[in-house]
Amino acid sequence: MKTRRSIWLAMFLLVGVLLVFGASRSGGPLTQQDRIDAITLNLACPTCSGESIYVSRAPASESIRSEVARQVASGLRTDDEIVSYIEQRFGGQVLLVPRASGVDSLVWALPVAALIFSAFLLFTAFSKWRTNKPTSPTLEDEQIVAQALKNQAESESK
Amino acid sequence: MLASAGISGTIGRAFLLVGFIGAIFGAFAAVAGARRNDQQIIRLIPRFATLIFAAAVGAFAAMEYAMITRDFSLAYVQKVGSWSTPALYNFAAVWSALEGSILMWVLILAGYTMAVAIWVRKRMQDVIATWALGVMFIVCAFFFLVSYFPADPFALGPPGVLDGPGPNPLLQNHILVMFHPPILYLGYVGVTVPFAFAIAALITGRVGEGWLVATRRWSLFAWGFLTFGIALGSWWSYEVLGWSGVWAWDPVENASLLPWITGTAYIHSVLVQERRGMLRVWNISLLVATFSLTILGTFLTRSGVLNSVHAFSESGIGAWFLAMFAVVLVVSVGLIGWRGDKLRSPGVIDSPLSREAAFLANNVLFAIFAFVVLLGTVFPLIIEALQDRQIAVGAPFFNKLSMPIGLALLTLMAIAPVLPWRKASTETLRDRLFWPAWCGVAALVASLLLGSYGVAPLLTFTLGGVASGAALRQVVLATRRQGLRGLVGRANGGMIVHLGVILIAVSLGASNSFSKSQELSLVANVEAQFSGHTFELRDVVEVRDDRSISVKALVLVDGKKIYAPAITKYTRIGMNVGTPSVRTSLTTDIYLTLEPPVRQDSNEARIKVFIKPMIMWLWIGTALMAIGTVLAAFPGRRRKPTEPTSAPVEVAKS
Repeated sequence: MKTRRSIWLAMFLLVGVLLVFGASRSGGPLTQQDRIDAITLNLACPTCSGESIYVSRAPASESIRSEVARQVASGLRTDDEIVSYIEQRFGGQVLLVPRASGVDSLVWALPVAALIFSAFLLFTAFSKWRTNKPTSPTLEDEQIVAQALKNQAESESK
Repeated sequence: MLASAGISGTIGRAFLLVGFIGAIFGAFAAVAGARRNDQQIIRLIPRFATLIFAAAVGAFAAMEYAMITRDFSLAYVQKVGSWSTPALYNFAAVWSALEGSILMWVLILAGYTMAVAIWVRKRMQDVIATWALGVMFIVCAFFFLVSYFPADPFALGPPGVLDGPGPNPLLQNHILVMFHPPILYLGYVGVTVPFAFAIAALITGRVGEGWLVATRRWSLFAWGFLTFGIALGSWWSYEVLGWSGVWAWDPVENASLLPWITGTAYIHSVLVQERRGMLRVWNISLLVATFSLTILGTFLTRSGVLNSVHAFSESGIGAWFLAMFAVVLVVSVGLIGWRGDKLRSPGVIDSPLSREAAFLANNVLFAIFAFVVLLGTVFPLIIEALQDRQIAVGAPFFNKLSMPIGLALLTLMAIAPVLPWRKASTETLRDRLFWPAWCGVAALVASLLLGSYGVAPLLTFTLGGVASGAALRQVVLATRRQGLRGLVGRANGGMIVHLGVILIAVSLGASNSFSKSQELSLVANVEAQFSGHTFELRDVVEVRDDRSISVKALVLVDGKKIYAPAITKYTRIGMNVGTPSVRTSLTTDIYLTLEPPVRQDSNEARIKVFIKPMIMWLWIGTALMAIGTVLAAFPGRRRKPTEPTSAPVEVAKS
């Protein structure tokens, strides 16, 4: 039993070390295409709501995509600057990801609130269940059990 | 052929009317029969079910007839029909727009109603079934009515039209249009059956476990088709949409995912109710949520309030579906409140370290998941209503939030299958998880050796390893005890479904994190390189038929085989559709798309290349899920209800 426990410990250590190692290595430098893809994934297609420029094949998206490609190729702006440039140049709703400010931040905050709320519910439920004594069966419950036992006895005697 | 103009429209509308009246009579018969327990009335019910099914088949056939004979007197045929559409796609054109897809809904719902009526007649002469049929008839009546009024597929169009544009090009260039919509609808509409039984259980007050056991296979059937339909949709997206992805989080996709999430939560938590009699309110709420989410999803995506690739044109059905949603919600919540005392269950969950607690955690996670998807889908509407401002919530939001939820679910899948009911000690856990944990280590080491990096994908692979170890453990133990019978039943079939889910998770983790892409400007007969593969443009050719002109780039990949990504212009609609070309293998897909602008007489082409690992395992995982679902539907070896839960299952004689 003792050895098993140490094996578990060793395994956790091994996994930890391997994860840290894996987290620290990277997949090589970003190519221009990687940057284009990353930027266009976060931009909304102007003619089709809910789709990104990356996904959309609409002509409007094509033109924004080639504009992003031009900007990335020129190498003058960072990714964020390209996004704000596109926002200025094309106007309207460009970002596909809601901002974390104002009312829009609710879309980020509510899921977290839901998580905390349900964790709280679970916690109270378990502490209630722990203190609760098992309830005694009602008369009705006992009748059901007696009936079931009788049925079973009958079916087995057949 | 022109002589028949208008006939199918009249016949179709007549069938819809007959169906509506039949459904109303059926509902009255069911309610009256159930209240008075009058067998003479109850005996009539299957006839009404047969009648509405016949009416639905008749209406659908009339629509098909109109489409096949190109009866351009109908507005719907004018919209999606065309002489130039090939027969197969023309057949599928019936469900390629709003009115026709509602008609398909009517057909499938009527089919389910009749199937339930037949099943009930054979299995149980029970008032709960009569009430359930009553609910189904009412839902049927609603859909017949929607099809008769706001989404009338048989409405007459302006006269003098001799040809139409045909269906949306995306719906006439891949064979999956024949399968994805009907299969998805079989799942989507199928959740009506367990919902109807849940309502019937509330009405009769017999909220015990009987109705759950009885409808188990119906739920599983609907869930299986929903899963399979969604997977086919992903495959279709991958094959035709040209961005090399399987899931875009567009509102219609989300509308199909939402009932899937709550349905998945249900088929897990229902086990707790069957075993421990707990979570009754919760399970009924999940069924109500699943059904009402299909209605809400239809409202969101078919009323024009949200738009997406799937969205058909705007129409007046929005108000109808919103009203239906409200009625379903009010009636269900009212019934749950009314039966509240009967629904309260005496049991307790003894320990957070038990099978039932794991199911509870699973349900909390799925509920949060459903909340996130629903919130993201409707959030633009909320902002527009509050501040009259347009925002978009897209894939990055959903990806960011679904990743931790997915990892948490994988963790549960790793631990829960080895947990016993009631209570586990850390000792048991340590013992039972020993080999699964080593599977996880092996998966981690293997993925590192193959060059993986980053915390999220590595965690996915590790947890996937542990979870598959836990699933295999159950299957191995069961087959060792019971031979091949250890593969059937929901515990064992369920583990096979788990294996499929794990494959899908791993494949998504790998393909989302380690894909590479590059746009290549290819010149004829000059080799280009990317990521260790060579690409050489051989030719650019043009293919014409009477509905489209396609330009294909013939690209030689790795000097072996020619792939032909294309862009097709559908001349009648004036829309370009790209057709990717994919080299598939078990390890890596090479996905080629032709990028506009294209000229067929040029010796150049811009090609975008995506190198995507492990995509094949998505489809293998889907197949495993399907197989597991079928195995789970077979009866497994069950304990006798009077035996204590710890009693061993009988060993098969070998």
